[in-house]
Formats: sequence, structure tokens, C-alpha cells
Amino acid sequence: MEDQDILAKFADPAARNVAFNQLVRKYQTKVYWHIRKMVVDHDDADDLTQDVFVKVWKHLESFRQDASLYTWIYRIATNECLSFLASKRRKFFLPLNDVGAELAAKIEADPSLAGDDIELRLQKAILKLPDKQRLVFNLRYYDEMPYEQMAEVTGTSVGALKASYHHAAKKIEQYINEQA
Amino acid sequence: MKTPFRLDEHPRRPQPLAPPPDGYFDRLPMQIMKRVEPGSAASSWAGLRWLSALSAPVRTALAAGVVLSGFVGSFLLSENSSTTTTHLAAVPRTEMVEYLLASEQPVTLTDLAELPVTEQALPETPLQVSPDELQEVLDTQPVEDIYL
Repeated sequence: MEDQDILAKFADPAARNVAFNQLVRKYQTKVYWHIRKMVVDHDDADDLTQDVFVKVWKHLESFRQDASLYTWIYRIATNECLSFLASKRRKFFLPLNDVGAELAAKIEADPSLAGDDIELRLQKAILKLPDKQRLVFNLRYYDEMPYEQMAEVTGTSVGALKASYHHAAKKIEQYINEQA
Repeated sequence: MKTPFRLDEHPRRPQPLAPPPDGYFDRLPMQIMKRVEPGSAASSWAGLRWLSALSAPVRTALAAGVVLSGFVGSFLLSENSSTTTTHLAAVPRTEMVEYLLASEQPVTLTDLAELPVTEQALPETPLQVSPDELQEVLDTQPVEDIYL
């Protein structure tokens, strides 16, 4: 179902729940994985995914359609992730490296990476990036999102995003080669 | 010599981590709908949602303030009750009597009853009187005087 049809249906109070259910089914997988790659842990990703869609429900009526629904939802998800990671650091009074170490420990325990040394090192290298740069890297490398859409999601210029991705890729290659 | 790692030559995994539990994406829409439907348990806490928007230090300070206010409040209340007792004790007896007599509910004889018998010393030897003599003495006493 097209976004426009979902939005039109959502505007009708009698069909609102059905429309929203369709919206969740359409975007839940992308939103979940976008969040999961940032927070690593499934339970955290589950909580945040639900929070994102609750926010979408609350604000969908005021959605102005000057951006696509897809990038608008991604933007909410991105903000939720960054807030979550920032509050995690504040809450436990942990310095930057300790949260990174906690996420790295979860990566090492992930069964899908067992036996794949290069992939494990790649994931640990990605975790070394600052949160916002990691976000840019994930959007480009995994989701293959065009830079123009990334600019809508992050509120950053295309040029800055290209530079950020380029630096992130170089850092990752350098880290993996140093570890080899 | 090992070939250096190059990101663009590395096979990309679209989802690099372990997948969520089986059926997760079938259950997720239902869980979200439960949270957004009106009358759900979550909406009963809507009045306190603003608390979650505060930062952790502000929430802690707010909680401490509430506890402190409770202590101060209970202290002031207990202080007031003892002050009231002290103030009442300072009112002269005559003023209190005037106040009581002037109030809408008049003081009855029963209110002021004090049995004078209790204040009198009992005779050392038992009274040697017959029941008829006793009855005669009692009959001559005005009943109301006993209570005044």
C-alpha cells in the first residue's frame, strides 16, 4: 500500500487503526534493524521500535508531507536511538569507551557472528565510531540510502554526510588492518 | 603478506546481527496497537508522561523535594497542635467561662456536675441510723443542690 493511501485512511477516524496497523507492518522491519544496528541489544531495539511507532501515531496527524513518510519515520527512529545512547551514558555515568565496550561485548556474544572473524572485527570497528558517524555509516553502507534522503533524516548537508561516510570507512579499514 | 582489508571488497551482510525471535514481526504490530489504542493501561499514566521528559538529575531533585516537603509539612502540623494547646492554657479562666456561657449551646447542670460527696471526709464511725430516719433526711434535701 502506498504512503498516500495510508495517510488518507489514517485521516478517517473510522479507519485510523487499520491504516496505522498497515503502516507498522510496512516499516517495522526497516525501523527495527535501523535501531538494532545502533543499540545492538534486541530488547533495547524492541522497546525503542515500539516507542518510535507510538510517537508516529501521536504526530502523524500533524505530519506535513514536505518529507516522505519513510524519511520522517527514520528521523524519529534516529533521534530515539541517539537520545537512548546519550541517556545510557548519563544514567550510568559511564565514559564513552565503557558504553562502546558494553556494546562490543554484546557483539561478541552474538551467535550469528561466531566463526566469522572478519565480520566480527568489522562490527567492532563500526562500534568505535562516534554515534552520529556510526548512524551515517549504517544508513549508507547497510541501508544504501541516497545522500539526499540521509540529509532529510539527519538534518545535515549532503556534502557533510559524504565526508562523514568517507572518514568512517577509512577509520574502519584502518582499525581492521591494525587488528590483523 | 596479507591483503589489506578494503570495505568495498567485503561481502556486505544486510543484517549483520542475529535475527529477532521467531514471530517477532507478527506480534509487534499488536503490541504497538495495544499501546496506542485509547483506554489502554499506558494511557492511564498519560498525566505523568511529563516526568519522563525530564532529565534524570531533575527527576531525582524533584523526588527529593517531595520527600523533604513531606517532612517539613508533618513537622509544621505537629508544631501547630502543640502551639494550640499552649495558647489555650494561657486563656484566663474567667474569659473561658464567659465564652462558654455566651456560646449558643448553654451550659447545662449536667455539664458542671461535680459530686461534692467525693470531697467530704467520711465519718470515722458508721452512722447508726434506721432506714426510716435516713429516708426522712433524704426527702428534705433539694435534689438540684446536690449537683451545684
